Amino acid sequence: MVITKDHIGGLAFLCLSAAYGYYAGDISMIPGDEYEPFNAQTLPKVLALLGCILSIALILNASRNGGERLSLKGYDFSIVVKLLALVVLFGLALEWFGFLISTVIFLIGGYWVLGERRWKILILASLPFGLFIWFALSQLLDIYLAPGRLITMLFGV
Amino acid sequence: MLDGIFVGLGTAVMPFNIMMVVVGCFAGTFIGMLPGLGPISAVALMIPITYGLDPSSGIILMAGVYYGAVFGGSTSSILINAPGCSSTVVTSFDGYPIAQKGQAGKALALAAYCSFVGGTVGAIILLFAAPALASVALSFQSGDYFALMVLGLTAVAAFSGKGQVIKAMMMTVFGLMIATVGADVMTGVPRFTFGNIDLIDGVSFLLLAMATFALTEVIMSVMKGQHLEKDPEINMAALGSMKLTKEEVKEVAPTVARSSVFGFIIGVLPGAGATIASFLAYGMERNFASAKEKLKFGKGALRGLAAPETANNAASTGSFVPLLTLGIPGSGTTAIMLGALIAAGVQPGPRLFVDNPDVFWSVIISMYFGNLVLLILNLPLIPYISRLLAIPRQILIPLILFFSITGVYLVSFNTFDIQMMVFITVIALFLKMLDFPMAPMLLGYILGDIMEQNLSRSLVLSDGSLAFLWERPLTLTIMVIAILVLVMPLISKVFGKKKVA
Repeated sequence: MVITKDHIGGLAFLCLSAAYGYYAGDISMIPGDEYEPFNAQTLPKVLALLGCILSIALILNASRNGGERLSLKGYDFSIVVKLLALVVLFGLALEWFGFLISTVIFLIGGYWVLGERRWKILILASLPFGLFIWFALSQLLDIYLAPGRLITMLFGV
Repeated sequence: MLDGIFVGLGTAVMPFNIMMVVVGCFAGTFIGMLPGLGPISAVALMIPITYGLDPSSGIILMAGVYYGAVFGGSTSSILINAPGCSSTVVTSFDGYPIAQKGQAGKALALAAYCSFVGGTVGAIILLFAAPALASVALSFQSGDYFALMVLGLTAVAAFSGKGQVIKAMMMTVFGLMIATVGADVMTGVPRFTFGNIDLIDGVSFLLLAMATFALTEVIMSVMKGQHLEKDPEINMAALGSMKLTKEEVKEVAPTVARSSVFGFIIGVLPGAGATIASFLAYGMERNFASAKEKLKFGKGALRGLAAPETANNAASTGSFVPLLTLGIPGSGTTAIMLGALIAAGVQPGPRLFVDNPDVFWSVIISMYFGNLVLLILNLPLIPYISRLLAIPRQILIPLILFFSITGVYLVSFNTFDIQMMVFITVIALFLKMLDFPMAPMLLGYILGDIMEQNLSRSLVLSDGSLAFLWERPLTLTIMVIAILVLVMPLISKVFGKKKVA
C-alpha cells in the first residue's frame, strides 16, 4: 500500500478531531445548562463527530483515488525555518527593543536570509523604511507604540 | 430605491471615498501582479487599514483592491505568463500567445475593456437583484439562516473541484472548530482556551486570514525557491498598439455579452467564484466557436481572452450579492470582506439594506467607479506599474511579511498574536503541502459563530426538536438544495461510471 497525501491528511485530521472531541467534554457549563437542548458543548461534539467521519472517509477513499505521494523534493525547508524564526524573534524584539529597532532588525534579517549580502542595500532598504513607518504611525497617526522594556529599563522613560 | 441610490452616490462621490477607490485599484493591481499573491491576500493585507476607516470607506477600499487585484493578475498572465491568482489562469491561455505575437498592448487593452464591460453589466444587475433579494430575505427566521449557512458551506465544498470535496468539507469543519475557541457566544463559558487568557477572545479573524493567506502564500513561494527565479524582462517598447480595430470589436462583442451575464450568475452561486466562472466561460466560448475557430483557441484567439476576462469580473461583482443580501460570502475574498464588515460593527445581511443603506449602496456604486478607474487610469499606467515588478524579491518578500505581521500587531498590540501567527502558518503550510484548500476553512470560521447562534436559537424555540428544519417550506427548500448540492457529485460519479461500463 502506498501512503498518499490523503492518508496523512486524513490521519492528522482524525487525531485532531478525536482530541477536539475529548476536550469538548471538558467544557464547563453554567448550572442547569446540561438540560438545555443546546449548550456550550453541543456544537463542538457535533463537529468532532463530523470531523471523525470525514477523516475516515478521506482515508478510505485515499488509495482508490490514486492520490499523490507526499514529496518533499524541491522544498527548501531551512529557509522557511529561518524566516519563521525571524518572525518569532521579531515578536520578542518588539517587547524588548520597541517598534523601530525591531523593524529595522527584522528587515535586515529578512533580506539577509533571502540572499542579499550587500551592506549598502541592507541598510538603505531597511533604515529609511523603518523610520518612515515609525514616524507615520507614532507622529502622523498618533498611535502609541510602547517603547521596549529594555529601553525603559535603561533610560527610565 | 431611488433614495438609496442617491444616498449611495452621495457617499461614493465623497473625495475621500473616491480616493479610496483609486488607491485601492492601484494597490490591488500591484499586489495582484505579483505571482502567488491573489485577490484574497491583497484584500487581507488591507484589513488593518480599514479598521481606522468608516465602514463604507473601508469596504469601498476593499472592493477597489479586489478589482485591481483581479486586473493585476491578468496583466501578469498576459505579460509574463505567470497568473497572479487562480481566476486569471485562463487568461494566460490566449493572452500570453497574443503578447508573444508582439501585440501585448492589444491584449492588455482587450482585457481591460472586457473587465470593464463585465464589471459594468454585473454592477447593473446587482443594482436590481440585490435589493429584491434583500427584501425577500427580510422574512427569514433563524432556522432559515441556519439552513442558508449550511447551504453556503456545502456549496463551497461541492464546487471545490475533483477529488477535493471531502478535503474542502474537512477544512470547513476545521474552520468551524477554530471558531469555537474562546468564550462561548451564548453563555460566555471559555472553550478550548486551556487556561490561556490570550485565547479567551478566540482566534482573531484578521490573524487567521493574514496567517493562512498572506504569510503562507509568501512563505510557500520562498519554500519552492521562487524568490530566486528572475522574472522574464518585460520589454515596454514592444507592447505594441493598444487600439482595437472595428472588426476585432465586432468579433468579441457577442462573447463579451454572453460571458458577462453568465459570469454574474456563476458569481452569485455561493462557493463558485471568479475562477470557476472564467474556466466555464472559456469552455462555453470554445463550444460556440466554429470548427475552424476552435483551432485558434490557445494560440492567441481574441475570443479566448475576452471570455474569461469578462466572466471573472462579472463574477467578482456577482459574489457581492449573497454577501450584501444574505450575509453569506460566496468566495474567499468576500469572506474576508464579511469579516472586516463585522469587525467594523456592520452586520451584512438583509437588514443591511434597511439599517445601513449608505454602506449597501455606496459599495454598489463604487464598484462601478472601480471599473472606470481601472479603465481610465490603470490601463495607460500599466507600463509604469509593471516596472514595480522589477523590485528584487529579496527585498519585496520581507516587506510583505512585515506588513502582514504588523497589520495584526497594530490592532491588538499583543506580541502573543505574532507567535500565534507563526503557529497557524506552520499548520497552514503543512495542510497546503497535502493539497488542502484554505478558503473553506476561512468561510467556516467566519460563519461559525453566526451559525451556532442561529442553530441554538432555533433549537431553543422548537424545544430541542430538529423539526424546525422541515416545518417551514422555506427552510425545507434550502435544506433540500443544500443536500442536493452535496450529493450531486456523488450521483454524477455513479452515473458516469455506469455510462463507461
